[in-house]
Amino acid sequence: MVKVKVVERPPADLVVQSWLPELWKGMKVTGRHFFVNLLTQKGIVTSQYPEVKRVYPPRTRGKHRLMRREDGSVRCVACFMCSTACPADCIRIVAGQRDDENEKFPVVFEVDFIKCVFCGMCEEACPCDAIRLDSGVHRAPAYTRKDELNGKEDLLSLGSLSVARQGGDLK
Amino acid sequence: MPTLTIDGREITVEPGTRIIEAADRLGIDIPRFCYHPGLPVAGNCRMCLVDTNRSPKPVASCWDPCQEGHVVTTNSPRILEARRSVLEYILLNHPVDCPICDQAGECELQDLYFAHDHQASRHPFHKHHKDKARVLGPQIVYDAERCINCTRCIRVCEEVAKAPQLVQVQRGERAYIDVFPGTQLDHPYSMCTADVCPVGALTTRDFRFKCRAWLTHGIQTVCGECSRGCGIRADVYRNEVQRLVPRHNPDVNQYWACDHGRLAYHRFETGRVAAVRIGGATTDYAKGVREVAEALPGAALRGVAVVLTPWMTDEDAWAVVTAIRSVAPGATFAVGGAAPGAADEVLVLADKNPNRNGLARVLADLAVTPVALDEIVAQAPALGALIVFGAEHAKAEALAGALARVPLSIVLAALEGPLTAAARFVFPSTSPYETDGTWVNEQGVVQRVRRAVQPAGDVRDFAVWASDLADRLGQPLPAPARASGGNP
Repeated sequence: MVKVKVVERPPADLVVQSWLPELWKGMKVTGRHFFVNLLTQKGIVTSQYPEVKRVYPPRTRGKHRLMRREDGSVRCVACFMCSTACPADCIRIVAGQRDDENEKFPVVFEVDFIKCVFCGMCEEACPCDAIRLDSGVHRAPAYTRKDELNGKEDLLSLGSLSVARQGGDLK
Repeated sequence: MPTLTIDGREITVEPGTRIIEAADRLGIDIPRFCYHPGLPVAGNCRMCLVDTNRSPKPVASCWDPCQEGHVVTTNSPRILEARRSVLEYILLNHPVDCPICDQAGECELQDLYFAHDHQASRHPFHKHHKDKARVLGPQIVYDAERCINCTRCIRVCEEVAKAPQLVQVQRGERAYIDVFPGTQLDHPYSMCTADVCPVGALTTRDFRFKCRAWLTHGIQTVCGECSRGCGIRADVYRNEVQRLVPRHNPDVNQYWACDHGRLAYHRFETGRVAAVRIGGATTDYAKGVREVAEALPGAALRGVAVVLTPWMTDEDAWAVVTAIRSVAPGATFAVGGAAPGAADEVLVLADKNPNRNGLARVLADLAVTPVALDEIVAQAPALGALIVFGAEHAKAEALAGALARVPLSIVLAALEGPLTAAARFVFPSTSPYETDGTWVNEQGVVQRVRRAVQPAGDVRDFAVWASDLADRLGQPLPAPARASGGNP
């Protein structure tokens, strides 16, 4: 059984209909904020972007980056795990052959930032610690759709060295 | 006829049947690597061990024949332990490079590991390294580290292709598959070795690194490269054929297909007729059909000749003949087609057209007696219209000459060629991987061809074109032909 509380409407007498008391109350709040902010600048939530940038939390997922091996080559082996896991289907890979023991590498590795939802599934799926979203770089808007496609070089330019054992460590 | 019991279920089989075959018939899954239903039994992987009441030790079910009163257990604790141990042994030196292995996702070793082993390696030393990415032939790459030495590939070469080109060399953990010195794996069925390979040791160079197996979806269709009509599965990703693999059809091709047929899809990747053309100028499909419909009744007074192709489906043939005869009842029909080629003793037949048989049956049903192609070429100057279907005609040059002499010349083809250059009206048509219909192979087996990829732009099936033309002519085709259609 729902309890119903009946709220009495205040009588619409002349004082209420004139709006003057309510207007006064509202102006008091606005005026208080105006003078407090003018004199003390305490508790202002507006940030002065771009002069002052907010610090993102450490686990923020920013733009993708591709990690490198000790020899500087890309760690990605083009296994398509990330593009398979991607719910937005925003990763396009074309695989190629390399002559060392790593055998396979991405000739094309493209992330479409229009489609990307920054869910982090790709970095979770990656068996090689090759793709990470920890660059801290916010995705910037672009003027054309083509500029939203970030290729291998763009993603590598944000990347750095990773010495994680390829394929992970079972022990 | 021995009667035996497998996991408490009774089955009666012909004498000589192996236990694994009887289990397959009951739907009881026995894991296997070296056993393949289309190949002789080797019995070397020891994965299919089962317990029987006739032997104190587990026996290989791929080798042991069924006997009267046999009681077989496939899932006792001892057998599960045996499978686990066999897998651990096979994986001892396996590189586990699944991320870069093309077989991943369809790998029997991967599947069986998760089903029966599922433990970390207890091997504390360095794994034994062998050759990787070794090119064995024009179509095949071999990775010795992944190889489990089941010898299925050797048996395919010996028994199916009758070309014993592969051999197992070395012993024990050093064993690997190789070709003889100075030779290569180049028989016409070499890609079948990659199909039967249960792991990623043998992979095709065509599919290597192209796409992951789990991303594709397979469309069951038929190969059109010869009149055998082998069952194939077209693996498609993002509306592109990534590879063709044979599918089992006991009446036609067993488990196999030739390399040529499996690479044939590349022919339709370039050189396609892209748009409708009238006199060399690109136009839209509706305008092309309208102009043909306007010109055809007038041309029919002088005579219409039609060259059909044995690549078209039965449905296409029916729709085309019905539509054209509705406006030109006296039209003459001829059957063109690709020139005969080499045949072999395994699958490849000399007739390089997939549906000559079916086309002949449809024409007979419609009471059409086809004339010789040369007759149409000779008549060309007197004709009002000449309509050629398909580009794969052996006498393309003569036909192109005939097209140039006819006032209303129409070509519907998937590929550019002398015919499309000579005709006034050119319509793009579907490739065998974009069409849907029926083919009848040389043995008379009726098979369904399925659309694997969606055709682009103004590309239409012959039947859809014929149906649209019939609509324009005010004599719509009866309903069944429309149901066979392509693009709406």
